Amino acid sequence: MKFDCIIIGGGISGLTAGIRCVKEGMHTAIISSGMSALHFSSGSIDVLGYLNNKVVYKPFEAIDTLTGTIAQHPYTKCGKPLIIEALQFFKQECETQNLYLYDNENINHFHVTALGTLKPTYFSQRSVFNEDVYNRFKKMKKIVIVNFEGYRDFHPQLAASQLKKQALFANCQIVAKSIEMPRLQDLTKHPHEFRSIDIARIFEDKENVYTIADAIRLAAEGADFVVIPAFMGIHNFNEIHNVMQSRTRLLIYEVPTLPPSILGLRIDNALKSRFAQLGGVYIAGDKVVRADYTNDVVQAVYTANHPENPLEAKFYILSTGSFFSGGMVSEFNNMYEPVFKLKLHYEPERSKWYSPQFFYSNSHPFLEYGVVTDENLRPYDSKDNIIQNVYCSGAILAHYNPIREGCGSGVAIGTAYKAANQIVSLYKLMR
Amino acid sequence: MKTIETEVIIIGGGATGCGVLRDCTLRGIKAVLIEKNDIASGTTGRNHGLLHSGARYAVKDLESATECIQENRILKKIAWHCIEPTGGLFVTLPEDDPTYHNRLLEACKFAGIDAKEISVKKALEIEPNLNPNILSAIWVPDGTIDPFRLASANILDSVERGAFVFTHTEVERIMLKQNQVAGVQCYDKVAKEYFEVYAPIIVNASGVWGQHLCSTAGIELKMFPSKGSMVIIDYRINNVVVNRCRVPSDGDIIVPGDTVSLIGTTSRKIPYDKIEELVVDDDEIDVLLADGEKLIPNVSKARVLRAYCGVRPLVAVSGEMDGREISRGVVLIDHKERDNVQGLITIAGGKLMTYRLMAQMTTDLVAKRLENKNRCLTHKIPLPGSEKRVGYTKKIKYFSGIPNSVVGSTHYRHGERVHNILSLQKRNYGLICECEMVTLGEVEYAIKNLKVKDLVDLRRRTRIGMGPCQGELCAYRAAGLFTEFGEFTPDTSTKLLKDFLEERFKGMKPVLWGDGLREFEFTYWIYQGLFGLGLVEEEQ
Repeated sequence: MKFDCIIIGGGISGLTAGIRCVKEGMHTAIISSGMSALHFSSGSIDVLGYLNNKVVYKPFEAIDTLTGTIAQHPYTKCGKPLIIEALQFFKQECETQNLYLYDNENINHFHVTALGTLKPTYFSQRSVFNEDVYNRFKKMKKIVIVNFEGYRDFHPQLAASQLKKQALFANCQIVAKSIEMPRLQDLTKHPHEFRSIDIARIFEDKENVYTIADAIRLAAEGADFVVIPAFMGIHNFNEIHNVMQSRTRLLIYEVPTLPPSILGLRIDNALKSRFAQLGGVYIAGDKVVRADYTNDVVQAVYTANHPENPLEAKFYILSTGSFFSGGMVSEFNNMYEPVFKLKLHYEPERSKWYSPQFFYSNSHPFLEYGVVTDENLRPYDSKDNIIQNVYCSGAILAHYNPIREGCGSGVAIGTAYKAANQIVSLYKLMR
Repeated sequence: MKTIETEVIIIGGGATGCGVLRDCTLRGIKAVLIEKNDIASGTTGRNHGLLHSGARYAVKDLESATECIQENRILKKIAWHCIEPTGGLFVTLPEDDPTYHNRLLEACKFAGIDAKEISVKKALEIEPNLNPNILSAIWVPDGTIDPFRLASANILDSVERGAFVFTHTEVERIMLKQNQVAGVQCYDKVAKEYFEVYAPIIVNASGVWGQHLCSTAGIELKMFPSKGSMVIIDYRINNVVVNRCRVPSDGDIIVPGDTVSLIGTTSRKIPYDKIEELVVDDDEIDVLLADGEKLIPNVSKARVLRAYCGVRPLVAVSGEMDGREISRGVVLIDHKERDNVQGLITIAGGKLMTYRLMAQMTTDLVAKRLENKNRCLTHKIPLPGSEKRVGYTKKIKYFSGIPNSVVGSTHYRHGERVHNILSLQKRNYGLICECEMVTLGEVEYAIKNLKVKDLVDLRRRTRIGMGPCQGELCAYRAAGLFTEFGEFTPDTSTKLLKDFLEERFKGMKPVLWGDGLREFEFTYWIYQGLFGLGLVEEEQ
């Protein structure tokens, strides 16, 4: 099979790059080995949340500081104007699938975590944060955090107690409540072993939404805000959110839960359906295992399911993610990139991969390991030659720490856009 | 300040201390046990969980071997729910001295250990993952024993019979009145308060920590700390204990335990002032994996889950000796005779296998001092959970409606006490830890009945977070239950969660590569990326 562009990896970065390419008329394929990191994400898009261990309020100003100091950082390679353009692109593409993202005009807002801590972020789904939070915040007196009886993956008391500690909520009453799940007797699965996705499916039935809304209205009487785990639907989330709010006459917000992340799933669905709508080819459940080269140009890649059939393309984007996603592999005293055997940045000595504590102010060094690229995001092979038609994006890149800097999704989107941009302009030249 | 009066104070909640507490209680002696961390959190919980047949010692240390086989038989009766009588193999590799095989058989016969030679073919039938190139094999009545459950069952029985136990309580010093012990000064680390316990007899069962403890009474007791490291591999790759048939050395045993297998053990002497900060060295991991692979070649393909080490509580009798050379025999010291301090008894050395015997020897001395004439009963009365031996098929029938796997693992861990844990209410048997099948009911039971003060304690009682994912999801689930079932504020629960992840990380660090690194990255994403748990303390 022949394509203009093949993207290896179907996470947020690969999908963003794919949409960008296919929109420019390129025949594009994404090869994805399985669920992506979106499934355990917060579902908000962090651009830059922390710099030098301090909270960032104005991410684009902070990006100026960052690009001025860390030459190797993916953001430095992207440049601020491109990052801003990429984020707008991402937002608009999500909107085509009725997934609306809130942003606070270049300023970070804070979303509440399941533990009641606050995390700075740039885009949130409107059921997580929107203008009403600001409008009503000053008059706010009571927040009710509601859980479903028996749902194991959320403890409202813990969240309530932590949230109360935040200066912003100091004068506010925060109460934890629990309600019963509707129609439990119908369920064949053990209701006390439900995961977020099982409950989100319950919400997809309108009758259930009414029942739940009524229960919440009773439990949360007098509340200015109601917080629930992110359950409110996988597909009809906008409608469900509206019905829930209008029926209860309360403002209801979602917090991200333990995986699977319904909020992340919505983004995943939106990007995938947008890619398909535009004519992209999404090959799921397969894995690229090797590549053919002519000098420093990749001619074709081969997958585990089709080891004999070459998948050929003019350009390749590698968005296979970090260790967890399989983008890089670590061994006893060694690390490698399994598809193209690219040059990696890492410390050979294993004891330097991690920090002394789990929670350590400087996070863990291995999170900064990854593929080394030139300023155009093109990687080097093991002999230090640039591979001419391969570009890298997202968590596989070296020289940034997505968690410490709170920039995982921003880098994924920014570098995807940058990689795709270059491919698109070369593609146009070739035509 | 709170004060308590009793007949005996036992310091140390390892297997030996717990055994002494039970022995005293069964003889009608009033006793209080004080442990600075949790039950079985020191050396007891840091061995390979082998139920020795004695064969390992038979060639070199006949006395230990004989003790082992006797205790092996007793424990199978009184503590069957802590034991898996898997049996074990001693296999000779092509590179090993082939004459050791016969020497071992001979010595076992002498010690009364029922060892028999089996064919290589038979050995491979029993243990298909075994190295097919072995030269010979011996079958021995080895097994596995869960030290956490064993110690906890001793505590549970004692408490139910009226003993007092203080965990997370440090003994600051032993108080003397002239040359007679008066009691101990303690600090409760959870409640953050001091209290004193008075008794005419103090049993020092604090293992390697006894050197410091004795020094508070002005007594010199030189311990000889020897570190033993082990690695745990994901999934149970062997069903019987696999020993290498040679003179005991590093990396010569693979013990199955619950859902995992464990490669043991190294032996290195360490300075006394380093016993609180032990780490597994990289080269120990090299040795354990390389030698483990010789016994079971699959080891190299399995994921290494964690590595940990314990300190053997060997008492240095004289001079400097190597960790394996020094006697692992029991040391019972009456400090009245040794140091002219009346009422202080030290019990040290020995091994998990002989904890009951050591407790019996100690309590005999205690009883003599107190002029208590009652006989030891610990070899006769079963531990709580082991009262009746009912097969798990019967339990499954009894708890019809609850998934078999849940009934099976609860019964496996708690024996007859499964009746105090499971109920047909759906919430009760909902799973909290999916790797180890720990239900909400089991968590509730442990928090309310088994002296659980944090998530690490809960892990020791229930195996929560001990499986392949190392507590990724269940840690948060269980943390919230502390607020629901115990007297823990939500903020304490959050702190317990943080502490637990730190504790798990300690054992993951030395083996952080491959899938272990992937799992850790995922866990870190959840707890720091998604939950911001690391931010909690900074805000306070």
